[in-house]
Amino acid sequence: MPALGRLAVCLALLCATFSVGASVAGAGWRRRDLVAAGAHAAYAVFALVAVAVAILLRALLTHDFSLEYVAAYSSSTLPVQYTVAALWGGQKGSLLFWVFVLSLFTTLVQLQNRERNRELMPWVTATLMVIAVFFLALVTFVTDPFELLAAPAREGQDLNPLLQNYWMMIHPPSLYTGYVSASVPFAFAIAALATGRLDDQWIRTTRRWALFSWFFLSLGNLFGARWAYEVLGWGGYWAWDPVENAAFMPWLVSTAYLHSVMIQEKRDLLRVWNMVLVLLTFTLTIFGTFLTRSGVISSVHSFTQSGLGPFFIGFLVAVILVAGGLVAWRLPELRTRGTIESFLSREAAFLFNNLILVGIAFAVFWGTVFPVLSEWVRGVKITVGPPFFNRVNAPLGIVLLFLVGVGPVIAWRRATPRNLRRAFAGPVGAGLAAAVLLRLAGVPLGWAHATFALGVFVLGTVVQEFWRGVRARQAMLHEPASRALARLVGKNRRRYGGYVIHVGVVAIFVGVAASSAFRVEAQQTLAPGQEMQAGRFTLRFERTESSEDAHVARLAAVVSVREHGRQIATLAPEKRLYKKPQQPTTEVALRSRLTEDLYLVLGSYDPKSGLVTLLAYVNPLVSWIWIGGAILALGTAVAMWPSALERRERAWAPGRVGVPAK
Amino acid sequence: MTRLAHAAALALAVVLGVAPLAAAPPTQQEVEEALTCQCGCGLTVHACNHLQCPSGEPMKREIAERLARGEGKETILAAFRARYGEKVLSAPTFKGFNWLAWVTPFAAVLAAALALGLVLARRSRGPAQGEAPAPPAVDPALRARLARELEELEREP
Repeated sequence: MPALGRLAVCLALLCATFSVGASVAGAGWRRRDLVAAGAHAAYAVFALVAVAVAILLRALLTHDFSLEYVAAYSSSTLPVQYTVAALWGGQKGSLLFWVFVLSLFTTLVQLQNRERNRELMPWVTATLMVIAVFFLALVTFVTDPFELLAAPAREGQDLNPLLQNYWMMIHPPSLYTGYVSASVPFAFAIAALATGRLDDQWIRTTRRWALFSWFFLSLGNLFGARWAYEVLGWGGYWAWDPVENAAFMPWLVSTAYLHSVMIQEKRDLLRVWNMVLVLLTFTLTIFGTFLTRSGVISSVHSFTQSGLGPFFIGFLVAVILVAGGLVAWRLPELRTRGTIESFLSREAAFLFNNLILVGIAFAVFWGTVFPVLSEWVRGVKITVGPPFFNRVNAPLGIVLLFLVGVGPVIAWRRATPRNLRRAFAGPVGAGLAAAVLLRLAGVPLGWAHATFALGVFVLGTVVQEFWRGVRARQAMLHEPASRALARLVGKNRRRYGGYVIHVGVVAIFVGVAASSAFRVEAQQTLAPGQEMQAGRFTLRFERTESSEDAHVARLAAVVSVREHGRQIATLAPEKRLYKKPQQPTTEVALRSRLTEDLYLVLGSYDPKSGLVTLLAYVNPLVSWIWIGGAILALGTAVAMWPSALERRERAWAPGRVGVPAK
Repeated sequence: MTRLAHAAALALAVVLGVAPLAAAPPTQQEVEEALTCQCGCGLTVHACNHLQCPSGEPMKREIAERLARGEGKETILAAFRARYGEKVLSAPTFKGFNWLAWVTPFAAVLAAALALGLVLARRSRGPAQGEAPAPPAVDPALRARLARELEELEREP
């Protein structure tokens, strides 16, 4: 079977290479048969890579330890869900998984565009298949997941225990989906540049793909944060690790694009800028993969140094040169004659929003690569850690939150003083009132205070938009409020879905600000029956409990929690010792409420004295980060759901292009 | 020029709250957060909670001892820097080449904002001010799209 897997990958590489050649030749010579052959070859790539993935998965599930990959990343005692997750738990498997997702999306794009975008599609196929060729070449020649051991191992070395967690089941696939789906708008952008079809057709076609990619990047980042929060046991969720930064940068640029593209659709402005953002998003996904796999920057959770770095840097340089060259070539045609007429306009607000988002992405990039730069220039290794990123990004984040409120309500083209009063009097008043009330309630002035007040301002703008929309429908159509709200959203899904996303963003900002600024920490060594204080909670160490199975040994400290003299919970933070890699891990105990999390870590245990060291963190409002993620998902679903008009159009004319944007 | 650079760095430090404005004694957490654990976890000494971490635990103890002796934050950081090199500091210093790490992101954003502001200001002072110009009879973009769609219509079988 492994030989069949390797054969499938080799054939997929041949098919992908053929697809590139046939598609480009078909586009150049206007030969529809060649274009069709290129598309069919892309389908074959998907089928062959699916076979390879199925074979590797089967090898994992049947514990075929003759395969080096299976022996290195699984064991016979590994629970089945983590055995499946081992598919992307190691370097080789994750690259194969990557190309599987890419070939799946290529197939979906082909199916979506069978009867449309005929001029663009050969170039789209060629671009996606060039990316597939790169990854398949790596899997074939550099990191073969079907490599056999000289002698089959008797037992596997197991998956890294830190990855044996629910969130690790869904974090990497989400992130890969976000990364890989960014290839689709990129491929259409390259196709638009290659063909000169620079109107907004490619943008309309990829609108949902861009949102889909952004959504999965958002989820990937949030799932990763949740994993870090539950598994790493340091009370936090984001450490500005280079690999976290690698996933955050494309998200920032993609967010900028989703806003600025509205200006192109509405006013036919910023064509060059939007093109650059799409190309940059994809480039950053490759840069992120390079960071994770090259070992050039040390990171807590990157793959081991693998020699893949030069290949990725080569591909990255090629992508930048080709994309940059195409933009330079088409620059005169990309330029638009329209202008932004005023500072006080939605266009200007969106532009400044773009500036801040790309500015934060640049700050993160700069901080991530600065250690390398320092070593080159001065020959001195330095660390650029959380204090740098927090201090640099906090002021930029505050400006961004302010613009989240301004953008959706300020008038297009030029806002008059009357427009501004009408749009902002209520939300600004609410924000100021919140600032004063929070101050009176004892919240000190600072980033957190500003975030809360601005959050209220943004919520004010959203509530006002919904309120005015509903009132207008009620006045004109005499609908009851619930129906008016449903129809308002149903007829403007993208707009109101966007507003819901903004509510999610506010929740995330508030959760991050509160948990960063007002966290309470306590650490104490206790004997059974002794107590410690963490904020308003009294923690009493009762006893230890241990259990063991073939896979892992567990030691738990049972801790009863009292608040104002009343027992409210019993928590049991654990230390685990995984047997195959003989690695200890921390299993935190959480009492999660809307107001705060009580986060308990068993730091150490001395079996002789029976003493345990407990670390307790009280993280205010941290749940709002995850709730914000759920609200964001809801808003994205609303925004992506096809409108009735689009569904009718598809039903009646499947071969036609989608409806124009509002 | 150098004085100007120092003044800018000081202003930035004040805005970011990193200058020692008050003479309050440093806390254990403050010093721990300014240092990176050397066990390879990539976290600050304060955040590293590895079981009996061979790097973080002794560093935490030493910080506590030094603070108890009345040493200031800078003195403690200098001692660790002398031992482990500059990489032990969790953020770049505000001196020399490292100064670029702090200033570049803000300089880039401010320069871009300034450029954007100038362009917008120039355009908003132009003929668009006052009465809005009469729109052309047919929007050129619309005309181009119409032509394109007609062309597509003709091309399709």
